[in-house]
Amino acid sequence: MKKAFSTVLTLLVVASFLLTGCGGGKAASKVVKLTYPQEFDSLSPLYTSMWFSWTTWQMFEHFPWEFDENNKPFPVLVTEIPSVENGGVSADGKVITMHLRKGLKWSDNKPLNADDFIFTWQMAVSPKNAVSSSYPYDAIESITAPDPQTVVINFTDPFAPWQATLWHGLLPAHILQPVFDAEGTIDNAEWVQMPTVGFGPYVLAEWEKGNFARFVKNKNYWGTAPKIPEVFIQFVPDDASQVAALKAGDTDLGTFIAYSDVPSLKAAGLNMMVEPSGYSEWMFFLVNEEKGHPALLDVNVRKAIALAIDPSGINRDLHYGLTKTPASFWDALPYYNDPALTPYPYDPAEAKRLLDQAGWVDSNANGIRDKNGVELELDHATTIRKDRQDVQAVMQQQLAAVGIKLNIASVDDALYFGTYADGGPAAKGEYDIMEWSDGPLFPDPDLYYWLCSEIPSDDYPTGENWFYLCDEELDRLITLQSTQVDSVERQKTISQINQLFYDKVYIIGLWQDPDVYAVGPRLNNVKFSGVTMFFNIADWDLTK
Amino acid sequence: MTRYIIRRLLQGIPLLFIISVVLFILMMNMGDPVANMGGRRVTRSSDYQRLTRQLGLDKPIYLQYVYWLVGNDWTKTDLDGDGIAETPGKRQGILRGDFGTSLVNRGVPVLEVISERLPNTLILMLAAEVIIILGALFAGVYSALHQYSAADNLITTISFIGYSMPIFFIALILMTVFAVLFKRWNLPYLPTVGMFDPEVGKTTGQVLLHMILPVVSMSIISFASYSRYIRSTMLEVLSQDYVRTARSKGLPRRIVVYVHALKNASLPIITVVGLDLPLLLGGALVTESIFAWPGMGRLFLYHVDRADTPVVMGILMLIAAAVIIFQIITDIVYAWLDPRIRYES
Repeated sequence: MKKAFSTVLTLLVVASFLLTGCGGGKAASKVVKLTYPQEFDSLSPLYTSMWFSWTTWQMFEHFPWEFDENNKPFPVLVTEIPSVENGGVSADGKVITMHLRKGLKWSDNKPLNADDFIFTWQMAVSPKNAVSSSYPYDAIESITAPDPQTVVINFTDPFAPWQATLWHGLLPAHILQPVFDAEGTIDNAEWVQMPTVGFGPYVLAEWEKGNFARFVKNKNYWGTAPKIPEVFIQFVPDDASQVAALKAGDTDLGTFIAYSDVPSLKAAGLNMMVEPSGYSEWMFFLVNEEKGHPALLDVNVRKAIALAIDPSGINRDLHYGLTKTPASFWDALPYYNDPALTPYPYDPAEAKRLLDQAGWVDSNANGIRDKNGVELELDHATTIRKDRQDVQAVMQQQLAAVGIKLNIASVDDALYFGTYADGGPAAKGEYDIMEWSDGPLFPDPDLYYWLCSEIPSDDYPTGENWFYLCDEELDRLITLQSTQVDSVERQKTISQINQLFYDKVYIIGLWQDPDVYAVGPRLNNVKFSGVTMFFNIADWDLTK
Repeated sequence: MTRYIIRRLLQGIPLLFIISVVLFILMMNMGDPVANMGGRRVTRSSDYQRLTRQLGLDKPIYLQYVYWLVGNDWTKTDLDGDGIAETPGKRQGILRGDFGTSLVNRGVPVLEVISERLPNTLILMLAAEVIIILGALFAGVYSALHQYSAADNLITTISFIGYSMPIFFIALILMTVFAVLFKRWNLPYLPTVGMFDPEVGKTTGQVLLHMILPVVSMSIISFASYSRYIRSTMLEVLSQDYVRTARSKGLPRRIVVYVHALKNASLPIITVVGLDLPLLLGGALVTESIFAWPGMGRLFLYHVDRADTPVVMGILMLIAAAVIIFQIITDIVYAWLDPRIRYES
C-alpha cells in the first residue's frame, strides 16, 4: 500500500507537470509583455462591458472610427466619419450612412462588409442572445446595405450619442450566422468564447484563463503591419505584484496603476502616463423631500458643503498631485465644457455664513448645527476602496469644522451597488450623500439617468436615478440634448446642463479619475486614448 | 474493509446534498452577477431585466437549485420576455454530470473552467505539500531527539516566526528581494509573476523556475505548524515503554526512531495531512493572487467576486467530495499504520 501511495503521488506530480509544462506556449523572440490586474470575462463584442475587453479589442478588431491621444475621432473602417455636412447624418438625425473602406477583410481572408454590421445589430437585439447590453442597438429601427460597402442605419428617434456608442467591435457573419441558424443563439459559439478570427493588427492565438492571453500578427491584416510580432498579456490580480513585475522588468506595460505607486515606479525608471478616462469621483446629494435629509433641499446648504471641503488639498496630499478637481461632468471633454467652470473654492468661512443664513445654527451647543430640532447630521457612504475611505475621513474633519456631522460608512461594492429589488442601499436612497466614480458616455456627454422617470420605485425597481432628484428644467435639457444632432446646438444645451448642475450643487466633484499606465523603458511609440486605449498598438516598438 | 468503504461513500451522498443546499443558498445571497455586467457603470435597467431572465436568475431560489441539481430540460423558459415560456431548457443538472455554464465567461462549461486550473493548482500545492511534510518531518524529529538543544531552540524560533507571519507579507518580501533587488544587484534572480516567460516559452524548466517563490512562501507558513506537531507527538512516543523496550533490546537508534517511534507518531500527523490534502484542490487564495499563478484559489476568488454561482458551486462541491474521499483514505491509512484498528464489525 505504501508503494501504491508513492506511485500515485509521483504520477500526480508528473501528470501535472506534463499538463502544465507541455501545453501551448510557443516562444517568440520579440514579445511585448502587458499586465492586466483584471482578466477580461469575454473578448467577444456585445458579450462584455469590461474596460479590459474594450482595451484589448484594439488588438484584433477595430471600431469604424477610433479616438486618438486627444480623444479626437479619426476614421478607420469608414472612408470618413458621418456628419451632417458630408451627408452621413440626415438633417432629422434619424439616419446615419457609413461608407466602408475597400479591401477590409477578416484574418481568415473573408471580406468584411455591410453584412457584418447588419449581423452584429441583429445579434445585439435578438432576445435569444444573452449579450451584456443591447444599447444603443435597440434604438435602431433597421439597417440596410445598398451595396457591400455602404451601411445605412435608421433610428426610431433622433439619436445624438451614436459616435461614442455604435459598433464597439463586430461579429463575423460568415462564422456566426450558421451557428445562429442551427442553435438559435450564439451564446455558446466557439468564436464568442475564443474569437480567434479578427480584423485588427493582431489575432488571438491563445487565451489560458486566469493566466495569459497571447496575440500574434494578423497575416491578412489590411492595414499597416504591426512592428512587434507578439503581444502577451499576463493577468496579475495583485497591485503590489504588478508593481514588482514592472520594477523587475518582467513586464513592459502596467495598467490601472494606483496613484500611490506612481512615485516609486517613476523612481524605478518607468514612464508614467496619465490619460483622462471621462470618469470622475463624485459626491451625489440625495435631494428629495421624502428620502434625504431636509437640509439638502436647500441649495445654500449644498453650496456650503462644497465650500467646506477641499478637494484640491485631497488631490495634492492623497493623490500626489496626479488628479485634478472636476467642476463638471464634462471636464475631460473640452468641447462640452465650454465655457469651462471652476470648482468651488475651499472657503470654510463662507460655508459658515451660508449655513447661518439658511438658519442652521448650533442652538444646543453640541458642536453640530441644527434647525427646528433637526441636527445637521448627514450619512455618507461609499465603497470599501482605500482611497475613498481616506477621503471620507478628511471630509468628515473638514465638515465638522463648520458644524456638520458626517457619519461615514464603507460598503462592499456588490452590496453598495445592489439593485432596488435586492434592497441595495444606494438604489433605495438610504444615504444622504453617495460617492462613486462616474461620467457621461465618453467621449459623448449623454447622461440619461438623471431623468425624473428614472427614479426607482416598487413599480419601477430598475430605475437608475438613485439621487431621487426630479428637476424639471434638468429633465427638459437632458431629453433635448439626446436628440440634437447639430453639434453646436447640442453643445449649448450641454453648457446649460453644466451650469444648472453647478449652480444648484446637485453634485460635487472630488477628483478626475484618469487611467494611469506604467510604460517600461524598452517600449516605444506608445500613445493612449481615453476611449480606444490602444489605438496605435500597431506603431508600438521594442528597443533591442 | 470494502463494505466499510462502500458504507462511508453512501453516507457521503446525503452529506453532499445538505452541503449543496446550504452553499447554494449562501451563494445566492453573495451578490448580484448581473449588477456588475455593465462594466464601470451600473447595468442599464432594461439590460438588467433581460439578462436576469435569460440567465434564469429571475426564478425563485428553490427552482434555481432544482435546475442546478436535475437540470431544466424537462421544462421551457421565457427568453424573449413576452410572458410565454417558449424555449426548451438545455441544462441536465449536476446529477447527470452537467455543472452548468459560467455566468461570467458566458457559455463556457463549469467543468472546463475548473479543469483548466486544476493541474496548475495540483503542481503548485503538491510540490509545496511534499516540501512541507519532508522538511517538517526532518525538523520535528530532529527537535524531538535534541529537545532543548540550541538547534531545537533555533528551529522553534524560526517556526514561530514563520507561523506568525501573514503569507502576503512573506510572499511580497521574497518577491522584492529575490526578483526585484537581486536583478538590480546583478545577481541571479527569480521571476515575479506568472508561470513562464513568453520570450522563452512554456517549458518545464520555466514552470519550475516560476514555482520557486510561491512554493517557498507557502512552505514557510505551513512548515511551522507541521514541525511543531511532529515534535510534540514524537516526544510523547519516545517516552513510551515500547520505545524504551526497543532501545533496551539493543536495536539501532535509526530503527528505534524511524520504525518504532515515527510510525506510531504518524497517526495524528496522518489526520492533519488527511484534512489538508483535499483542501489543496482549493488552491492558495493569497499566494496564487500575489504570484499570478492561475490556480483554483484565484478562480474561486474571481468568481465569488462576480457572484458566479455555477462555477463557485462546482469548486465547492469538488472540494466537499474530496474531503469525504480523503477522510476515507485517511481511515484506510490508519488501519495500515496501526494493525489494532479494524473497521469490520
